[in-house]
Amino acid sequence: MKKSGLEITRRKLLAGALYGAALLGLSGCDKLFNRLQQSRRVEALLDSAETASRGFLRLLTGRRRLAQEFEEKDISRYFKPNGNPPPLENEYLADAAGGWTNWRLDVGGMVERPTRFTLAELKELPARTQITRHDCVEGWSAIAKWKGVPLARIIARVNPAPAARYAVFHCMDRDDDGELYYESIDMRDARHPQTILAYEMNGAPLPVEHGAPLRLRVETQLGYKMAKYIRRIDFVADLKQIARGKGGYWEDRGYEWYAGI
Amino acid sequence: MSDLVYRHNRVTRATHWLNAAALMVLFMSGLMIFNAYPFLHWGSKAERGEAFFSIYASGEDGDVRSYTELYGRRADTTGLFGTQNTDMGPLPRAFPSWITIPGFYCLACGRRWHFFFAWLFVLNGLFYFIYNRATGHVSQFILRPRDVPKLLPMALYYLRIRKTSPQEGEYNPLQKLAYTSVFFILTPLVMLTGLAMSPQMGVAFNWLPALFGGRQSARSVHFILAFSFAFFTLGHIMMVITTGAINNMRSMMSGWYREKFHAEELAAAEAPAPALKNPAAPAETIEAPAPRAENGGGDEKERP
Repeated sequence: MKKSGLEITRRKLLAGALYGAALLGLSGCDKLFNRLQQSRRVEALLDSAETASRGFLRLLTGRRRLAQEFEEKDISRYFKPNGNPPPLENEYLADAAGGWTNWRLDVGGMVERPTRFTLAELKELPARTQITRHDCVEGWSAIAKWKGVPLARIIARVNPAPAARYAVFHCMDRDDDGELYYESIDMRDARHPQTILAYEMNGAPLPVEHGAPLRLRVETQLGYKMAKYIRRIDFVADLKQIARGKGGYWEDRGYEWYAGI
Repeated sequence: MSDLVYRHNRVTRATHWLNAAALMVLFMSGLMIFNAYPFLHWGSKAERGEAFFSIYASGEDGDVRSYTELYGRRADTTGLFGTQNTDMGPLPRAFPSWITIPGFYCLACGRRWHFFFAWLFVLNGLFYFIYNRATGHVSQFILRPRDVPKLLPMALYYLRIRKTSPQEGEYNPLQKLAYTSVFFILTPLVMLTGLAMSPQMGVAFNWLPALFGGRQSARSVHFILAFSFAFFTLGHIMMVITTGAINNMRSMMSGWYREKFHAEELAAAEAPAPALKNPAAPAETIEAPAPRAENGGGDEKERP
């Protein structure tokens, strides 16, 4: 008696499996996944991994741990300048030629003392130099020496409100459609000792293709978080009002906001 | 008379299929991620021109050729790797769309699939391990020092050079070697090399990428391990098919396995001599000794 009940179950199971396999074979595996990719529900499910990764990795990290720092001999011979081409505006080009005398960094948003810095003023602040590895989301890594102002110093200067949760970097470079690059990090990464606003690369002024006059270094995350050609930093409570609301240029195009993995 | 035995518990069956799905998605989405930078390096950084493995395309419109290169040895893989034939002719693409998730080029999508199924793979594996550790099942497939001398005899048995199997218990020594390597070497290494690529993980533990010789080395090892998993899976599927596909599939779906040896014993008990002529008896038991007889190779039982 028990065995006949079992027969039915396993026949059903086998039939189900064969049907499933046939369906998969017919539709083509890639087409199935392409269709799943379009589903909002699947997207939301997959997104849950981002929260898990961030929680898990940050739990392990602690606030004071530093990314590995390398030696001069480790510096890459070639460092691929990824992303948008440098800004093409005449003001930018003229300023680049003139040593950035017209460029200003505006720091504002939810802060007690909004401040405008010249490049010379930033260079007068105590600097940090670090030889670190840059990890691109594409998979490659390159090592360079960076010198700049720790963002924590700027934070201390402008004093963001307790409600401010993110630092948003507005940039001067545009994509082919003219959309401006921007990025955001939270206050924990903003206060990390190795998070700096770099104006020097490998002992020379930051080259135009690497984001002159000022770029971000966030050693806890992937390259696309490290905004180049910065002109303004805003401290905000929410990212939804900016551009398409995902907290960054690439985030608006499907990449994770948390790029620590 | 029932010759069905309950071989796989519910947890084993559920986690097995979840694991199969997770490994497939991880492999295919991993190839999508690789496609974003189809080069492998040793060390911390990816110095241009110093990749030990690469898949790349070159040529003019209409005549694109692609190459796969390993330590300077180059093979033309046009249409297979490095280019994909489309309506518009061959287009550059390291791994073709039928083996990547998603099929169209999307690094962001590939990453989301990969990380979600990485969590599923790990949690599912932990659940399997904890449950089957408690039931005592895990200890049955762990390779122990006393199994090591039996590895060669088992291989010889598979190759039909040796007549008797040295197997004792649920798993034979080669099965133990395979499952132990996958559980205790391949799986931890694939997790660690994956995590070693994370910048945040590198901040938490500077030694982790260094353990593999740098982040790019970790990426290369991760890639090699992914193919080790693929080869293990292919071998696994081959064994499933050659040792009774329906029976094996049923046991992994319903739990019930038709015990061959049990059936033989029963048949032997009923009619010892003509049992081998019984058409219902598994074919291997009749054919296995045949090649030995032709070779006339002395006393088989004495062979190690």
